[in-house]
This record gives sequence, structure tokens and C-alpha cells, in this order.
Amino acid sequence: MGTVHAKAPTQTASNISDFAKQSGLKQESETTDIKEIDLQMVQARVDRVNVDGLARTKNDIVEDCVQDLFKAHDFQDVLLKAHKAVVKLDELGCFKNIGVYIDTSKGLNATTDGLEVTFEVTEYKRITGGINTQVGNNEGSILFAMRAPNLFGRGERVQTEYTRGSKKTSNFNLSFIKPFRGKHRPSLRTSILQAHSEWPNSGYKQLERGVQLDFGFYSSSLFKHNLQWEGIIRDLSTLSRTASFEVREQSGSTLKSSLKHILSMDIRDDLIFPSYGSLIEITSELAGLGGNIGFLKNELFFQDNYSLLDDIVVQTSFSAGYMLPMNKDKKITIADKCYIGGPLSIRGFQTRGVGPHVDGDALGSTAYWAAGLHLFTPLPFRPGRGGFGELFRTHFFLNAGNVGDFSLEKMSKGDILETLQKNIRVSYGLGIALRLGSMARVEVNYCFPYKFDKGDQTHPGVQFGIGVHFL
Amino acid sequence: MPGPLVERVSLEFEAQEAWPKDVKLFQPYEIEQILLPDNANCLAVQALLKMCNLDFTVEFRANAEAMSPSGKVPFIKVGRFVIAELEGIVQFINGKGISLTDKLDIEEKADLRAYMALVRNVIENAELFICWIDHETYNDVTSIRNGSVYPWPLNHFRNREKRNQVIKKLKVLDWYNKTLPEVHEEMANCCEALSVRLDQNSFFFGDKPTELDALVFGHLFTILTTPLPRNDLANIVRNYPSLINLVKRVETKYFNREDGKNI
Repeated sequence: MGTVHAKAPTQTASNISDFAKQSGLKQESETTDIKEIDLQMVQARVDRVNVDGLARTKNDIVEDCVQDLFKAHDFQDVLLKAHKAVVKLDELGCFKNIGVYIDTSKGLNATTDGLEVTFEVTEYKRITGGINTQVGNNEGSILFAMRAPNLFGRGERVQTEYTRGSKKTSNFNLSFIKPFRGKHRPSLRTSILQAHSEWPNSGYKQLERGVQLDFGFYSSSLFKHNLQWEGIIRDLSTLSRTASFEVREQSGSTLKSSLKHILSMDIRDDLIFPSYGSLIEITSELAGLGGNIGFLKNELFFQDNYSLLDDIVVQTSFSAGYMLPMNKDKKITIADKCYIGGPLSIRGFQTRGVGPHVDGDALGSTAYWAAGLHLFTPLPFRPGRGGFGELFRTHFFLNAGNVGDFSLEKMSKGDILETLQKNIRVSYGLGIALRLGSMARVEVNYCFPYKFDKGDQTHPGVQFGIGVHFL
Repeated sequence: MPGPLVERVSLEFEAQEAWPKDVKLFQPYEIEQILLPDNANCLAVQALLKMCNLDFTVEFRANAEAMSPSGKVPFIKVGRFVIAELEGIVQFINGKGISLTDKLDIEEKADLRAYMALVRNVIENAELFICWIDHETYNDVTSIRNGSVYPWPLNHFRNREKRNQVIKKLKVLDWYNKTLPEVHEEMANCCEALSVRLDQNSFFFGDKPTELDALVFGHLFTILTTPLPRNDLANIVRNYPSLINLVKRVETKYFNREDGKNI
């Protein structure tokens, strides 16, 4: 991100360093003869804002980002607003590096309390690219990316990505992204994509090709909405000759056209090992506007973290979902169904291991719930405290969940609840969790499946999980 | 879950079992979807199973082609086995000790294989040529029928994909650049050869049908009865009364239909 540099004459220079520590800003110059002053008491107004280093970027979007600075009344306000401006500038995705300099204003029109704020930015090159490694759902992958950032000077970008995973998945997508101005921070993304995935636990592989439109905006500073439409042609085929006939029956091409709404709120303090805060994600998908796939699917994911002691954290998570068929002409395939079980979901079961299986192939279900209760503590005797040891956590867990199939015509509401209450699956265990960079978590657990159905595929003993989204 | 060895052993036991009752033959919908070459192959397999006196029921599936392990229709499901196409099915049936050709000597068997290959290489390619390369037939019949089970715009994608596959195949076999008269000539030569072989017999190899009879019946019956914008293939076949008689014979004997009322 950026750095904020503050210089002030001796009589005003003060507890800047304290403030800087609080707000996470870096303070550079420190003189020995500073007096302690309350920054809020220091009257200040911004006379001028300079932005250096703009070449392709258009003025209007930059003005939007820095305009708030002129409303500042005291010095602390100036610092905070400068920091916010840096965040906003960074969000534009046009600049590689952003620096801030605050100086007293000089010249003819300078006022007595006047300040001059200078942002020094470095724009991205016309084309950037790279090769990265990524961690997804229990698989590692390599990502080749090319981006043309800031195409027309207002943050538009074209990017193309190709990923190839260790489990034979491959993805290609080409997207055009256009951020708009406005207080809801709307942005539009259109992509063409092709994805190949293999699901050995269900005995099928799938090739998806299609287009996706995504409109994202914030309804408040916390709630992020994504409205999506996707039109995808899916070719489903069996993985082997011995795949069960139930999977074979589903082979062929289908066209899914669906509208999706994703609402998410993430106020956790950390993505991997949060110590407080919660995450909510609600996804609704309506398929069947054209195409031959039709369903309504609603899913919810909720996670809450509560810190018992310093670094002993209790985490509760809950996810649930159900899908309903649209009408008789439109199908639901095995690829649309819901699955639970696996190292990222209900531990102690094979991936997709909970629910109906035929000849070892998981067929999925139309309703599920799954919950987890976790206790994260530091490693026993805390080796490498404050350093390497902070990457690890001891992990105790209790998972529960259930799947069910229901259609509204056949069952009344009571029956649905009954199906979901019957045959609850429970597993528990303990293990070690490791933070992998700032995005992924690795878990090695010893699991004890406690309650399971006879159709389930359990995985007692050591189970290895790597991913971003854990239950 | 049983280990792979146990599974294989149990599969082998199953393979040696007698013909089960719930055998199903999967093929595309006859009225609105199936195309001439596919229909011919499906009918050939049906004729074969009937000649062997094996029970089966026909199941119509829009995605029969995608379901098939070889990507071609028809295929049959016997217990846990799925076997596609005439040759594979003949082999599978032979494995169960049922054969239409056990009375033939080695020379005749070689002849049979040669004539099967001839039908595959000429009649089937001629059918593919008419259906997919001839513009009139493609636009008026093939594209509509092949795309009928898909929603817009998937039907166009599927048609193009399938057409490219057929073109690729015909290019490899050196059929793609043929002209229509050349195709007719090939077809006439093939029919000539078949009728010479058939001579005055009731079937190609004596008085008992073989898989060759099933294959020829499947193709010729379909060619004769399928309404297409151009019926030149049917007209060529009509020049060979002995072949027409063979088709009628198989139809009455094994499909219990009235004496060739469609032909």
C-alpha cells in the first residue's frame, strides 16, 4: 500500500508517532525536541492536493478519491483522510505504488493553517503478468496470468488467467473489469470462461464453457453484493468405464442459464486464524431462464469467532442449503447437486462422502446442513512463540451434518425437518492447522467418525486438508 | 467398498452368467431425434439380438450417444456391463456362448468380416455424407433433428461440433471430397457386391442369418424407409431386388411386421 510522510514545524510536531502507531501509519522523521500535542486540537485545512505521476489515468477518478481531503478541519483528520484516499486509490487498481507527503502550503494563496498534500503514484505498465501458485479446494494449482490494467484510464482492465491444478482441473478465463464511480463502489465484470474439472468421488468429469456477467456493489460499507448471470454449456461424462450407471445416465451436454445473488459480510480480523468477528455468505441461484437446467438453490454459510483467552479461540460455523426443481422440463444434473463431507467440510468423511452412493459414486442431494465447533489453541509448550510458532495452531473439532432429498410436492414442512434431523452424522478429532501465506490453511487431523449412515464413505484416522474455505 | 480384484472377479462371474432378463438397449428418440446412420446401427443391433433370440427392451434417451462408452449408439446394458456397437455386442454375446457364426468355416468367417467392413466403409459413409455434407439434407433434416433435444443456442453448438467430427472422419477416410455422383457409384458398387454374394440364398451364408444380415438389414431398411429430401440412396438400393427381398425376409421373420409394407 502506501506510506504517509508527515513533516511539521516544531511547535506542531507532536504525538504523531503515537497516532501513527495507532493508525498503522509509518512515521519517518523524528526530531528530538517534539512537544506532546493533541492532533485534534491543531487546526488545519488542505489548500492544495497534488497527484504526481499520472500519465494514462484520467483526472476525474483520481479527484473522486482525494476530494474528501478538503473537508478536513484538523491535522488528525487530514492524516486519516489521506490514508483513506490511499486506500481508494489503491482500489482503482491503476497504481503499483502510492506515497503521500504532507507539507505546509506556501505561495500566494496559502492560508495560515494551510497544508499541501502530495500523492506520488507509480502507474502499472500497459501489460503485466506472472506465474503464481494457488491453493483451492484441497488441491494446489499453478496460475498463469496476464493483465492489461487501467486500459482506458479509468481503472478498466482486461485480464486473462489460466490455471492448472494437481487434480487435473484446468481453468481459463478472459475478463473485462470496469469499476464505476459512486458511493456504492459498483463494478462490472464480464468474462468468458472454460473450466475442466474431475470428480473421482462422483465418477464424472465436466467441461464448462460459457459467459458470465457480474455486477458488484456495496450496500453499506460491510455488505457486499454480487449479481451474476451466467450462461454455461456443460459437457458431463463418466471418468471411467466402470462408473455407475446412475452417473452414466447424466452424461451429455446441458445449458445452464442462471441468475445468482451473493451477499457477503466479512468482519473477521484475519482470513486464516481469526480471533474475533464473523463471516456471512448467502447465495441464491435461480437457474432456468433459458437452457435446460432449472432449479432454485439457496445456500448459507456463517462463521463466528470468539476469543476465550488471549489466543484460545472458539470458532463456530454453520452451513446449510437446499434446492428445488423448477419444473418438469428442466433437469438437475449430478453437477448441480449439493455435497458435504471431506477434509474441508465434515471431517472424518471422504470428500463428498456423506449421502447416497451407488457403486462408490456420490450422487449428491438436494438439501443439507453442516456445522462445526472448533477450538484453536497455540501449540503445546508454545515452541517458536512470536515467530515461526504463530503459523501453527492446535485444533480440536466437532463436526455434524446431514443431507436429505425432498421435493415440495411429496413432503410437508414437518417431514423435511424430520429427514434432516434423522441420521445426523457426527465426527470429532484433533490436529494441527498451519497458515500458508495469507490465503490458505493446511490441516492435518486425526478424525473419529462417530455417527454415520451405512451409505456413507468415512475416512477415520489421519486426514489432510488444504484450502481457503473451511467449515 | 470391495477392492478392485474382488470387483473384477465378481464382474467375470457376472459375465459368464446366462442372458439376464432386464437387458436394455439404449438409443436416441426414433421419431424426432435419430439420424439415418444411427438409426441403421440401432436397427442392426436390434435385428442381431432378435436373431439370437435374446430378450431386450428398447429405452429411448436423448443423451444416448453421450451415455455410450464408445460415444456411438446403440449400446446395451447387461447387468453391470455396458457394451456399445454391433461388433462389441457380437463379441460379448460370443463370450456367453451364443453365436450366429459357429457353423461357418474359417474362409466364410473371413468373408463375413470383409463384407461387414465393406458395409461399414461404404454404406455408412454414404449415409454420413448425405446427412452431414449434403447441404439440402443437412439444413432440412439433420440439423433440425440432431439439435431437437437441445435448447437454443446449444443446438447450434452441438450441430457444429458433431458436423466437424463427421467431416474429420470422412476426411480421414477420403470421402469428404467426393462428389454426389461418386458417392452414388460407390453405393451402387457395394450393393452390387452384396447382391452377388447373396445370390439366390435366403441369407448371406446359407439359410441361417448372421451378423452381416443384421447389419445389411439395419442399413438398407433405414435407407428405404427414411424420408429425406433426396432419396437417391433408396433408389439405388431398389435396383437390387434380391437385397430388397432379404430386408423383407428379416423384417417379417424377426420384427413381426406386415410384409414390407413400407418398402
